[in-house]
Amino acid sequence: MIELRKISKHYPVGFGRNEILKDVDLTIQEGEFVSIMGPSGSGKSTLLHIMGLLEEPSGGEYLFQGERVDRMNEKKRTQLHRGAIGFVFQAYHLIDELTVYENIETPLLYKNVSSSERKSRVADVLDRFNMVAKKDLFPSQLSGGQQQLVGIARAIVAEPRVILADEPTGNLHSDQAKVIMELFRTLNEQDKITIVQVTHSDLNATYGNRIIQIRDGHIQG
Amino acid sequence: MLKSYLKIAWRNLLKQKVFAFVNVIGMSVAITAALLLTMTAYREWTFDSFQENKEHVYQIYREDYLAKGTAIGGSMAEPLADVIRKEVPGVKYATRIAGMEMPVRYGGKNIYFDVEMVDADYLKMFSFPVLKGNAAEALKQLNNIVVSENAAKKLFKEEEPIGKTIEVNIANKWHPFMVSAVVKDAPDNSSVFFDVLTRFENTDDYQDIRNRWDMGNYPLLAQVDPAVSQTALEKSMIPVSRKYYAEVLEDLKKEGAVKDKDGQMLRLKTIPLKDFHLNPFSNFNNGLNPFYPWLMLILAIMIIAIACINFINLSIARSLTRGSEIGLRKALGAMDRQLMIQFWSEAFLLCLVSLMLGVILTVCLLPVYNASFNHQLSLGLFSNIRLLASLTAGFFLVTLMAGGYPAWRVARSNIVEVLKGKLKLSKGNNVRNGLIIVQFIVAAVLISCTAITWQQLKFVQAAPLGYNVTQVISIPVENAPQQALTAMRNKMKELPEVESMTAGMLNLGMGKDGNMGRWKRGFTYKDRNVKTQCLIVDYDYVKTLDLKVLEGRDFSREFGTDSTGVVINEQMARQLGEKDPVGAQLNLDEHNRFHVIGVVKDYHFESLRKKVDALMMMIKSPENLSYIFVKVNTPNATASLKKIEGIWQGLNPLARNNASFLDENANRMYKQEQRFSKIFLSGALLAILISCMGLFAIAVLVMTQRQKEIGVRKVLGASVSNIVVLLSKDFMKLVVVAVLLATPLSWYLMQQWLNGFEFHVSIHWWMFVAVGLLAITIAFITTSLQSIRAALANPVDSLKRD
Repeated sequence: MIELRKISKHYPVGFGRNEILKDVDLTIQEGEFVSIMGPSGSGKSTLLHIMGLLEEPSGGEYLFQGERVDRMNEKKRTQLHRGAIGFVFQAYHLIDELTVYENIETPLLYKNVSSSERKSRVADVLDRFNMVAKKDLFPSQLSGGQQQLVGIARAIVAEPRVILADEPTGNLHSDQAKVIMELFRTLNEQDKITIVQVTHSDLNATYGNRIIQIRDGHIQG
Repeated sequence: MLKSYLKIAWRNLLKQKVFAFVNVIGMSVAITAALLLTMTAYREWTFDSFQENKEHVYQIYREDYLAKGTAIGGSMAEPLADVIRKEVPGVKYATRIAGMEMPVRYGGKNIYFDVEMVDADYLKMFSFPVLKGNAAEALKQLNNIVVSENAAKKLFKEEEPIGKTIEVNIANKWHPFMVSAVVKDAPDNSSVFFDVLTRFENTDDYQDIRNRWDMGNYPLLAQVDPAVSQTALEKSMIPVSRKYYAEVLEDLKKEGAVKDKDGQMLRLKTIPLKDFHLNPFSNFNNGLNPFYPWLMLILAIMIIAIACINFINLSIARSLTRGSEIGLRKALGAMDRQLMIQFWSEAFLLCLVSLMLGVILTVCLLPVYNASFNHQLSLGLFSNIRLLASLTAGFFLVTLMAGGYPAWRVARSNIVEVLKGKLKLSKGNNVRNGLIIVQFIVAAVLISCTAITWQQLKFVQAAPLGYNVTQVISIPVENAPQQALTAMRNKMKELPEVESMTAGMLNLGMGKDGNMGRWKRGFTYKDRNVKTQCLIVDYDYVKTLDLKVLEGRDFSREFGTDSTGVVINEQMARQLGEKDPVGAQLNLDEHNRFHVIGVVKDYHFESLRKKVDALMMMIKSPENLSYIFVKVNTPNATASLKKIEGIWQGLNPLARNNASFLDENANRMYKQEQRFSKIFLSGALLAILISCMGLFAIAVLVMTQRQKEIGVRKVLGASVSNIVVLLSKDFMKLVVVAVLLATPLSWYLMQQWLNGFEFHVSIHWWMFVAVGLLAITIAFITTSLQSIRAALANPVDSLKRD
């Protein structure tokens, strides 16, 4: 599903350059639940951003569902964002001005889903996450765990093939984290969604079925 | 989708009240100002647009190409109307127009009406629909009179006007007229207007001017066939001027007049009806400088631009705090275009709210605006599709400018940086600083212009005019008979506070009746051509007005020969070139032979826009005395004015209480400038206010961004004043640059304006320093409101947060 070949990424710094990723080769099969681990600054977030087409690699090839995507134009990239890839962020990144319901609805708006279908799909997701009662609240009225639930709900409402999660439990305490990780496991096992998460926590990493260690821009072992 | 955008926009507005307030208030005030100004300009430009024949009716005027420049005259000889009707091909109709306020009497009622004496063609040329009566026959007879709807209502109330006899007081005599038609009132944007119309032959001087080519008294208008162009018309009038102005041409040749490219020394030129209002040579021009409507439009654009700049700066600054939303939306699959539309729709919403507020404000302010600037604007203007369309287009342009640039910047920002919160305010600094500089340039230019206009008006008002302005009251004689003047003279002798009384043909300055005029004559003196203004005065003119006699004496009742005597001013004496001008013989023509009895010091009998012209005063033909001048010596000026006005009212029951002191009259001449400077002042205030609102909001933002830095600096030992200086410095630099750039610009603009005055103040360098200091102070106060607060804040609060 995701195939990275000799991916590298560097930023110019002064006269030299700062290498973040060096010749990363990585293949993730459909249906996997992968945890990326590594110390701060090791390049794991950058790797995730490249997978999510939020950043372009400086070198190498990236095949998504068998298709070259590393030099894609905006329109095609946007199509993938709309349909195939869902994001979950450490800081949730909910839109403060929108209610829970509206936040979840936003990806469907960009996907041009009809109004009646939007309603039923958002209602399904709310129902599944037990958040029907909270649908008219604003993000600031929710706890961190609830906000992250909304974030995940928003990520899956467009029925993506893969969810990319950047330290999804980084801002949560362990009980809340457990709920979120259970949810990821369910999504992976029942809905067959491929999940790639970046995490610091060994415990969280165990929810996945493969762990990738990254250090100084290289994948270990 | 749009609904979702608007929802976010609306909730954002509610959340960020300072920005919403600054944007909406700034924008709506700017829209109000711009609406009022464009409406004013539009009204001036569309004067007479309702006239169906606006392209084919022309006023005819005469140009004489004298050696020292072109002389222009709008008053034409009486027989010319018939001549062009018959001899110029393509001319369909022609009318002379003589108009005056005259008392009209019917059924015991006396009302002053604007009586216009015209030719029968008048009603065919102008689009004043006839409501009652027969249009073709309405002015057939000399005793026909046509009344406007409004005049009919005032005179006849419910009665049927047609066939009624009303009387008009022409030159102190009541003449009966028969009402033949009622026509619709002229709209207020009409250059030609009237209350009642009678035939031109009824003018009091008709017998004197009839068939005379050597006099010009009234404007002449002609309508040509639509196929005839203006140039063709002017060309086909050349034979007419050759044939009928032979004597004038003879004189012109003697004076050394120059020939134009077609070999003409004198030409009949035309002004189309659509240009009457703004063409300075037209008799129907209201004195409005044709550049003023443009200035208003420019001012409107500048004010809107300042508000737009606020909008742009604030939107950019604000979009940075919304970084995560933007990044997220991109991650969720928003195209750049969609983000642009979203941000633009937010701008649109804000502008729409501002527009609605602005329109409401305009509607509320319109009566006040009309009253204080003497305009007659009505919202009826908006029924004009073209104006409405251009305003709508303008509005969309504003939303595009105000919302488009920030939207474009936001949309092309890098997702990851935005998501990580790395996007810095500093990135937009160059654009932002540039825009702030532009704002303050506009503000500084407007302040300097206001200051200079103000100085000039003060100067004009305080300048010694060479005659007594504070003690002398002027009263229009209007239609009072000669005896009333004599009776007034006797009554005035009885009043202890009255020092003297006299009368003159023309008022000094502009009285409450709004009349100004001049009478120019040329004659030969010792083989030289002398041009001078003439003035018929009464005895005691010099004494009443405190003119200074340099040589000879004033008119005196003790000398029987004074009816052929003239008193001249220094300019005239200079023209005569005599060592001792007293006693010089001036032969104007065979009927008018005068000798100089005195020379007075030059005084400003016209406005300070002009040099003092040559002047010749005579006491011949006292029937032309139209203004009474009374010098009073009293502590209570207003009471005396009332009293004297009352006495005159007693002698002339038709008088309209138009007495005024001469200093008022002098000021009234600069009405346009006063109106203009008021508009300028309001514009300058608005510009400064809106700029400062923007600066304030930007300061709020920058302070929030630098909170941590301020905290660290304070912990390291910076004092409050250190920090205030640090924070204000960046903004002050911008304002200083703006002031430096604005100075030469305003200097140039104002020099141009002042050149319109023969007597004007000079522009001093310290004025610009003062304006600069003012702008800097205002900007400093604005930013320090925020920087002091930031500097006083406990550093622990800001540091703890990170």
